[in-house]
Amino acid sequence: MASANSAEAAPEATSGLPAEPRYLPSSVQGAVKILVTGPFGVGKTTLVGSLSEITPLRTEETMTAASSGIDDLTGRGDKTTTTVALDFGRITLNPRLALYLFGTPGQQRFRPLWDDLSRGALGAIAMVDLRRPDESFDVLGRLEEQRIPFAVAVNTFPDTPSYPEDELRSALDLLPEVPILHCDARDRRQSYDLLIDFVDHLHRSSLLELQG
Amino acid sequence: MSGPVRPYVITGGRSRSTRAELAIESLVSASAEAPELPEHALLNREHRRILTLCHSLLSIAEVAAHLGLPLGVVKVLVGDLWDLGAVQVLPPVPQAERLPATLLEEVLVGLRQLR
Repeated sequence: MASANSAEAAPEATSGLPAEPRYLPSSVQGAVKILVTGPFGVGKTTLVGSLSEITPLRTEETMTAASSGIDDLTGRGDKTTTTVALDFGRITLNPRLALYLFGTPGQQRFRPLWDDLSRGALGAIAMVDLRRPDESFDVLGRLEEQRIPFAVAVNTFPDTPSYPEDELRSALDLLPEVPILHCDARDRRQSYDLLIDFVDHLHRSSLLELQG
Repeated sequence: MSGPVRPYVITGGRSRSTRAELAIESLVSASAEAPELPEHALLNREHRRILTLCHSLLSIAEVAAHLGLPLGVVKVLVGDLWDLGAVQVLPPVPQAERLPATLLEEVLVGLRQLR
């Protein structure tokens, strides 16, 4: 079923450029970031939009890669460039610190971009649509491989089937330490609870590491 | 947005910034005391658009989105402006000096207050 939740594309202004920028307070001293990843149509932009204090913005990055394994857009030789859209939002956490949320496809073929984006990230939220979980395997595998702290966020569409957690964990082949969270990404409160649970998990993990 | 190749004409063919530390979330603003920019002609139209946009604080990603330029191009141009002293770039949140646990706690407290 197609729902508003499945729309990956943000509405664009007629000019193609967003409206007036909303500046950060001049007291802000730095920013941190969290990535929101998952296959196309899983609801990354919806989640970013529910959390962001600004209307989500879209930017693009061009990526050069060997054309094996990616769609060859040019048909010219063994290198090709592809353009990847990133939708992102912002939360000013306190007068000194801002949090950016970047929605980004995490599949293997976007690896060059991913490596750049993930540097310095606090962690990643990997969204999963249980009606098509197989589309998430690639992303989940890469997150584990790269040892980026992450949680799985099941986007609960109205017709999402529900499974017991152990069944879900085994179906998605997740390590025991990876939290499985649920939220309707269209709902601000649920999205905030998801983000808070994720950062709480990161915080606890870092405390455990300190204890060694 | 234009094709994948053309934007790099704006950067004189450069795809990498002189400043490797520039990240997508780096925060930029035009320098309050703008230096006398030498060789003003070296700045192209996109450099000037960045200076105009960044009278207050924005991230590299926001600059790219508002100007309709690819991220890589904006990093190169902001790097140029930084080299000239025309913009200030806030250092990344010092995760090495500040224990991640402390930083994560600050994020958590902020989110709980906004919830």
